[in-house]
Amino acid sequence: MGETLFLKRKVSEDYSHYDFPILKKVIKMRREDVIAEIKASGLKGRGGAGFPTGLKWELALKEPGDEKYIICNADEGEPGTFKDRFLLENTPLQVMEGIIIAGYAIGANKGYIYIRGEYAKAINIFQDAINHAKEEKLIGDSILDSDFSFDLQLVKGGGAYVCGDETSLINSIEGNRGISRITPPYPIQNGLYGKPSVVNNVETLTAAAEILAQGGKTYANLGTDKSKGTKLVCLSGDVKEPGVYEVEFGAMTLREIIDEFGKGTTGELKFVIPGGVSTAILTDDQLDIPYTYEDIANVGSGLGSGAVVVVSEGHDLLELLQNVSRFFMDETCGTCFPCREGNRRVYHLLKEAVNKGGFTSDDMKLIKDIGKTIYLAARCGLGQTSMCFIGSVLEKYTDELLARR
Amino acid sequence: MINVTIDGQKLQVPEGTTILNAAKMAHIKIPTLCYSEELSIYGGCRICVVEVENERLLQPSCAVAVKEGMVVKTHTPKVREVRKTIFELMIASHDLGCKLNCLTCSRGDNCDLQRLAQELGIREIRLNALDKNMSNDYSSYSIVREPNKCISCHRCVRRCEEIQGIGIFTKANRGPAAVITTFKNKGMGNLECVNCGQCIHACPTGALHEVYHYENVWDALHDPTKHVVVQTAPAVRVALAEAFGEKPGRIFTEQMVAALKRLGFDKVFDTDFSADLTIMEEGTELLGRIQNGGTLPMLTSCSPGWIKFIEHFYPEFLDNISSCKSPQQMLGALVKSYYAEKNNIPKEDIVVVSIMPCTAKKYEARRPEMTGDVDYALTTRELAMMIKEVGIDVLNLEGEDYDKLMGSSSGAAVIFGATGGVMEAALRTVYEILTGEELPGIDFTPVRGIEGIKEAEVKVGDLTLKAAVAHGLSNVRRLMNMIRDGKEYHFIEMMACPGGCIGGGGQPIPTDMEVVKKRMEAIYESDLAHGYRKSHENPEVQQLYDEYLGKPGSHKAHKLLHTHYTPRGL
Amino acid sequence: MNDGRMMEKLHNIQTTYGYIPENEIEKLADEYAMSKTKVYGVISFYSMFHTEPTGKYLIRICNSLSCHLNRSDDVVTGVQEYLGVESGETTEDKKYTLEIVECLGHCGEGPVMMVNDKIYTHVSKAAALKILKECM
Ligand SMILES: Cc1cc2nc3c(=O)[nH]c(=O)nc-3n(C[C@H](O)[C@H](O)[C@H](O)COP(=O)(O)O)c2cc1C
Ligand code: SF4
Ligand code: FES
Repeated sequence: MGETLFLKRKVSEDYSHYDFPILKKVIKMRREDVIAEIKASGLKGRGGAGFPTGLKWELALKEPGDEKYIICNADEGEPGTFKDRFLLENTPLQVMEGIIIAGYAIGANKGYIYIRGEYAKAINIFQDAINHAKEEKLIGDSILDSDFSFDLQLVKGGGAYVCGDETSLINSIEGNRGISRITPPYPIQNGLYGKPSVVNNVETLTAAAEILAQGGKTYANLGTDKSKGTKLVCLSGDVKEPGVYEVEFGAMTLREIIDEFGKGTTGELKFVIPGGVSTAILTDDQLDIPYTYEDIANVGSGLGSGAVVVVSEGHDLLELLQNVSRFFMDETCGTCFPCREGNRRVYHLLKEAVNKGGFTSDDMKLIKDIGKTIYLAARCGLGQTSMCFIGSVLEKYTDELLARR
Repeated sequence: MINVTIDGQKLQVPEGTTILNAAKMAHIKIPTLCYSEELSIYGGCRICVVEVENERLLQPSCAVAVKEGMVVKTHTPKVREVRKTIFELMIASHDLGCKLNCLTCSRGDNCDLQRLAQELGIREIRLNALDKNMSNDYSSYSIVREPNKCISCHRCVRRCEEIQGIGIFTKANRGPAAVITTFKNKGMGNLECVNCGQCIHACPTGALHEVYHYENVWDALHDPTKHVVVQTAPAVRVALAEAFGEKPGRIFTEQMVAALKRLGFDKVFDTDFSADLTIMEEGTELLGRIQNGGTLPMLTSCSPGWIKFIEHFYPEFLDNISSCKSPQQMLGALVKSYYAEKNNIPKEDIVVVSIMPCTAKKYEARRPEMTGDVDYALTTRELAMMIKEVGIDVLNLEGEDYDKLMGSSSGAAVIFGATGGVMEAALRTVYEILTGEELPGIDFTPVRGIEGIKEAEVKVGDLTLKAAVAHGLSNVRRLMNMIRDGKEYHFIEMMACPGGCIGGGGQPIPTDMEVVKKRMEAIYESDLAHGYRKSHENPEVQQLYDEYLGKPGSHKAHKLLHTHYTPRGL
Repeated sequence: MNDGRMMEKLHNIQTTYGYIPENEIEKLADEYAMSKTKVYGVISFYSMFHTEPTGKYLIRICNSLSCHLNRSDDVVTGVQEYLGVESGETTEDKKYTLEIVECLGHCGEGPVMMVNDKIYTHVSKAAALKILKECM
C-alpha cells in the first residue's frame, strides 16, 4: 500500500503555467450542478470539524443577498499540522483554483485567503500567484469570458492559533481581536461584514477542484461509506520519516501509516495522537484500526486536521501534559471564563505536580472537573477540545502518574 | 410565538427571546454575571449555562434564542456542577486572598460575586488564589482601578463604549495575559476618560471605585481651626436613602441635612441654591447671545463629565459652552467670598465639601482654573459610609432645614438632578423675564423622561426658541454630530450620565434605568412640593444679587461664577 | 472601513519600525473610525505585533509538542543562555528579541527556529548558536 495521489501533486513538476483547466470547465456549468458534484463526492471539511462541503456551499448559495464571501482558511496552527503549508508552497495555483471555483459555486465575487503570518514563504508564493493570476486575467472582471467576476485578497494572520476558528478568523479579517463569535448565527448566514460567508480549509478547496476535474463519483469510490476520498496526513513526532502523505480513507490502519510512511518509530511506541493536540490519544493496542473518521471516533478520538503525532517511550509524561496545556493556555482568546481560567489553572496544577514530583488523586479529580467544565461550557472549539489530550492521558496513564509520588 | 418547555413548564414566548428571558417569563431566574440588560450580549462568563435537550454541550442562556419545541433544564446536576467549577475558577483569579479582601473592598456590602456565591450554593473553593500581581491605577482624580479584582466580564468595557460612546477600556493581550486595561495601560487619568463613573455601576466587583476623599473630610471635621461647610447636590437627596436599604424613590432631604449636622459640619448649604443662581447667570447669558448675535447654540456647563468630553472630542465647540461654572463650583466660590466676608471668617480657614452624585465632580474641583472653590467632593456613597461609620440612625432621624444664606431653593433647582431639568428650569425663568408672563404649563414635559435626545420648541415672545436635551454620552455624541451637520438650536442641555445626575457615577449601587426612573419620579415630586417653582423667585438668590453681586452677568458675577475651557487632544 | 486590510497595515508598520508606534496607532484609529484604545486591543491580541521596539533580529523558537518531542528544549535553553534573555525580552544591545512560540508548522522538521522571516529546520543547539552568531 502506498500513497493514493488524488490531490497531492508531485513537487518536482512545474506548475507555473497552470491556467486553471478545471475552472474553465466549471465556469460553464450551472452553480447547482457544481454543488451537486461536490455533494456526490461526499467531501467533508478537512479543517477539523468535518462538515459536508457540498451542503455548506448549497446553504450559502441559497442565502439571499448578492454580496457573499468565500474565505480560505490557511491559518494552520495546531501543533503537528503542516499539510496546508505543503499545498500552499507547492501547488498554490491549485489552491487558488479551488477558491475561485467555490466562489463561483456559492455566488461570491470576493474571496479571502487567510494565511498564518508565520508562513512567510507560503505568503510570498501565494501573493505571487495572485499577481500572476491577475495578470493572466484569471482573477478580475468577467474571468474567462464568463459573466463571473472574482477578486481575491490575501490576509496575513498575526500569530494567534484561535484565528483558525472560522468566526475568529472573520473577526480578524475585519480588523478586530480574533475572538470567537457566538453561534448561531453561523458564517453562512452572517459572516464577514455581516454577509453570508463560506469558510473552507485549504485542503478542502484543493480537493473540491480536483473532484470537479475527476468527477464526484471517482472521489466517492475512494474511501469508505462514511469517509470518502483521501486525506492528507501530517506525520510527526517520534517517527523516522515524518512528512505529508495522502492516504485513502480505510485503506490503511494507523499503524500502517506510521510503519510504512513514517518507516516506524524512533523508540518504543507509547501512544499516538491521531488528529492533533485537540484530540484524545490512542495507545498501542488501539492502532490497528482503519484510518477513517468513524473508526477513530469509535475508539474515542478524532482525526481532526490530520496531524498524526507519534510519541515513544522515554518522554516525561508530565512534561508532555504541561507542553500541551501551555499551548492551550497561551492560545485561548481569553473571552470565556471556563477556557481562559480553566486552561490557566490546569497548567498551574500540572506545574505544581512537576514541582511536587507527582500527582495526588485530588489533583486528578480537579483537573478532570475543570476539563469537563471547559468541554461543556466553553464558547468555541478551542476550549471544547482543549482538554481532550490531557484528559485522555490522565485516564490512560492514571496509575503511572499517581505512582510517581 | 415559540413553544418552549423550561424545567417542565410549557410556555409560549415571542420569537427571538433568549432562553434567559424565556426562563424569566416562567418565573425562573437563571444566575448571570457578564450579562447586563442594558448592554450587548457578551457570552463570556458562562455562568448562565443550561442543558438543552439533544444538545451535546451546555448552552449560554443569555446568548441563545429559543427554538420551537426546545426543552430546557436549568439546574440539572451537570449544570450545577459546571457553574460551581466556573465560579471556583473565577474566584481563584479574582484577587489574592479574596477571603480577606472582602473586608476592605469597596463593594464589601454589595458585591455581585458574593451574591452569586449564595445563588450557586458555593460552600468550598478548592483552588488556591492566583496572584495576578498587577498594579492599581491611581492616575485619575476621580476613579481608582484595581485590576487584580477584575474578572474580565467586560461590563465596564461595554458600558463605556455602548452607553457612553467613549471606550476607555479594552481587553488587551490573549491567553493568560488577557486583561482589561486602558490604552497601552497608561491609566484612566492620562487619557480621554471623562470621569463619569458609569464603569463603577457596571462592575460586579470592587475593581472600580471612586477615589476616596472621606478621610480628608474627617480630618477637616476634627481640625478645630477649620470651618467646614458642606453642600448637597439635587440628585443626592433622592438616592441617599437607598444606601440604607430603602427602596429607590424616597425623598430624603431633611434627614440628610440632619445627618450632616450630626457629622459636625459647621454649615449645611444647598447646591440647589446655586442651581437657581446658575439659571440666573446662564439665562442672562443665553438672552445676551440671542440678542447680540453670540455663538449659538449655547450648551450647558453643569455636567463635568460632559465638559471633559467636549474638550476631548469636540474642542471646536468650546465657545458654545456657557461660561457659567457648575452649581458646585459657584457655591464653593461664594462660600469663600460672600459667606466668608459676611461672617468674617478668613477664607483659608474654610473647607468646602460637596456631596455629589458624581465622580467627575472630584475632577472638576481640581481643575486649575477653579482650584480652591471646593476642597473635597464626596460621592453619595461616601456620605453614606460616613453616616454608617458614626452609626447615625438616619432613617428615623428628625428632619432639619438647610442653613440660611445659601439654603433656600426653588423647585426649578431640584429638577437639575434629572435629564431635562436644567432646560426646564431655564425656560421657566427665561420665558418670564422676556415676556413678563408665566410659562404656560410650568411643568414643561417635552424635555422630561428618559428618551436619549429630546427636542422642544417654545414660543418666547417673537422668538421660537429651539431647545434640545441629551443624556448619556453616546446620545450626547449623536446630538453633537447633528449640530456639526448643521442642525440649528438655541439652547442645549447636555448631561454625561444616563438619566442625568440622578444616574451619576457616585450614586448608590445599584444604579440602573429602573432605579433612575424611580429617582426621577421623586425629583419631580419634590419640585411640586417647593413653595417657589422658579429660580428667580428664590429669595436668597435675590438677596445675593442685591447685597453682593449686583445683577446677573455683572463684573463681580463674572469673576466669581464664570470660567473657561481647555481643548484637549485624544 | 470594510477593506480587510487592518492586518496587512499592522504587518507593514511592524516590519518598518520593528514595532507599532503610537502615532501609527492613532492614524489607524482615524482611518478605521475606531478608538485608539480599540486598535491597541487588536494589536496586543496578536503575538506577531509589538507596541514596544524589538531587536534587529526577532528569534522565534517553536516549543510545541512535535518540536518538543524532537528536543526543542535544548535549543531553547541554549539560546536563552547565549543571549541572556528570556522569552519576550530583547538583548541590551537591541540586537535580538527572543520569543518561544507555539507551532510554526514545520513539525516534521523540528526543532524549528525563525530569524525574522527565515525559517531554519532540524536545528540543534549548536546550529542555533551558529545561526545567531551569523546575524550581522
Ligand atoms: C481553535 C480552532 C482552530 C481551528 N483551526 C483551523 C485551521 O487552522 N484551519 C482550518 O481549516 N480550520 C480550522 N478550524 C476549523 C474552522 O473553524 C472551520 O471549521 C473550517 O475552517 C471549515 O472548513 P472546512 O469545512 O473546509 O473544514 C479551527 C477550529 C477551531 C475551533
Ligand atoms: S473592571 Fe469590573 S466591570 Fe470591568 S471587566 Fe473587570 S470586573 Fe468587569
Ligand atoms: S510543533 Fe514545532 S513547528 Fe509544529
